[in-house]
Amino acid sequence: MSDTPKEVQFIGEETEIMENDPSMVIKWPRSLVHRHTYGKLTPFFKGLQESKLMATRCPNPKCKAKELWLPPRAHCPDCHADMKWEEIPQPVIATIYTFTKVVYAGIGLELTTPYWQIDVEIPGACTIFKGYLKYGEPKVGMKVKAEFRKDKPTNTILNMCWVPHKG
Amino acid sequence: MIIMKEGNKRIPKWSRRVFVVAGGTTAYRKWFPEYKIEELAMLAFRQMLENNDLKMDPLEVKGLINFCVYGEFADHFQDQLLCESKVHDYLGLDPLYNIGVKTGGATGGSTVLAAASAVASGYADVVLALGWERMDEVDTRTGNMYISTAACKDFETRLGRIYSSYYAPMAKKFMDAYNLSEETRAKVAVKNHLYACSSPYAQQPGKYTVKEVLDSRMSAWPLRFLECCAMSTGAASMLLCDEKTAYKLTDNPCEVFIAGGSHTLRVADRRPQEIPLLPHETKDMYKDLMKPGFRYPGFESFLASRMAAWFAYRMAGITNPLEELDLVELHDAFTISDIQTYGDIGLRPYGQEPDYIESGDAYYINPNTNKPGKCPANLSGGLIGTMHAVGATGIFQGIECMWQLQGKYDKFHGDPKIWKQWGKEKPKDWQSLQIPQKKKMQAAWVSHAGVGSHVTLGVMKKAW
Repeated sequence: MSDTPKEVQFIGEETEIMENDPSMVIKWPRSLVHRHTYGKLTPFFKGLQESKLMATRCPNPKCKAKELWLPPRAHCPDCHADMKWEEIPQPVIATIYTFTKVVYAGIGLELTTPYWQIDVEIPGACTIFKGYLKYGEPKVGMKVKAEFRKDKPTNTILNMCWVPHKG
Repeated sequence: MIIMKEGNKRIPKWSRRVFVVAGGTTAYRKWFPEYKIEELAMLAFRQMLENNDLKMDPLEVKGLINFCVYGEFADHFQDQLLCESKVHDYLGLDPLYNIGVKTGGATGGSTVLAAASAVASGYADVVLALGWERMDEVDTRTGNMYISTAACKDFETRLGRIYSSYYAPMAKKFMDAYNLSEETRAKVAVKNHLYACSSPYAQQPGKYTVKEVLDSRMSAWPLRFLECCAMSTGAASMLLCDEKTAYKLTDNPCEVFIAGGSHTLRVADRRPQEIPLLPHETKDMYKDLMKPGFRYPGFESFLASRMAAWFAYRMAGITNPLEELDLVELHDAFTISDIQTYGDIGLRPYGQEPDYIESGDAYYINPNTNKPGKCPANLSGGLIGTMHAVGATGIFQGIECMWQLQGKYDKFHGDPKIWKQWGKEKPKDWQSLQIPQKKKMQAAWVSHAGVGSHVTLGVMKKAW
């Protein structure tokens, strides 16, 4: 056992005491990195890199709904079949369904506050898709156009946003 | 649309009757360094065993327990996995088996459902349902971020990192669709903060005006801080048992029924469908609502709450909730979600939810008539006034219902010793919120997760 050092050394950091009365409260830092897979949704996030909005549809002729899903799903919740990918035709024009102004957000938000979070109807989709309005003021029924952010890509849903669409 | 087949619609049924006999709770605080969470669990457990007029020595009652179900929402708040084991050992309940339940904000209700199922099946005669949350290890904004990971990580979380921003778009839609005013929303906050003033356990009591609520700091428009639930640390405990044990332990057992419903975590994915009707509703009632462009449940309603009520009312034999329930405890995480729920659980038809507040039915004393409200809501102070220590919430609101049915509101809220135990002085203008006692009484309580991902509805009936 010659590889065992004579004495174990403490190699951690000193811990700050935050409160001492009535109970001792210590600082407990955490900073972690996760590896997050997009799995079968990868085409959606690759699509964002290419300024495309990708959705899925069930191809099963026996499935009643055959709805267009956005957010996409790899499997149909109604018949479990593998879904097929479809690109939403460009330009992607949607209609504001509802919205909120986010004033106070949780830690780590990557957008300046306040900002308008909007939920939009995309033609053909069975869902209402969440995003944010880059500029302007939202109104229910207002048309917006999808924009794809190339600067500092996070490769998350924040790679896209919406802007007011005239016409 | 979602299609339910016949088998999916089977009404839940206990194989034998299930009763609740005792409850306990701690006070709830934003910052609670005086106790570790297992210590708070012990205080709730002790109040349950010692102060509910059980006809046996507390340790003898403990000796009847066969199984334990624990509710905790989020491991990452405490940075402690398997806290269930720490609490179970600390309560001195080893080597009995225990399970942990996690269904977001509905964790408390699901914990009671799992405990009741164990009694109903005969797996156990006496089951402990205990829940807690310690949300004070991190600051508020970090807490908001943790909670927002109970939205869809890929498509929602990064767009807000706070749950109010997922409820606020529903508020906007509901206000437009059903003519809900800001003032009516604020009245829910005024009511629940006020009722919290009578509770020694409350974290956010306050006598506010509608104007003060609407002038308070904005979280996500239109929701203000005073319209949002507390972020709490605390624990609550409930004892469930079979019929024979129930009457051995107490002269005042309450029979319990509970069922749940679920719907997508992402509001985005709510596909339009037909309204599942409660026993007192007809399709005709909603013909004006079902116009082109109307989506049910849309952003206005919760299919999960509707299905929880759909199952639980039929399970418990309730045919008209507003007429048959003496009180309700609702999951008022936000004023808007409280109001949305009135339609889902049939306190009003869909589209007429604001009337439950404006009519005065939801109040202890109806402000329009000065007489007792028809079906008062959240006399506990709810999540806005008293607590939202998430894993404890659905248990806490259940035992508040039980104490009301037992006529013990004053015993558990008006005793100066309880106020003192939690470092408070009983207010000189303390008011009892005990509802009038009748021969037959029943209450319902709702436990709700996400933007309506999991919801339970429990019914408690006076059984003596």
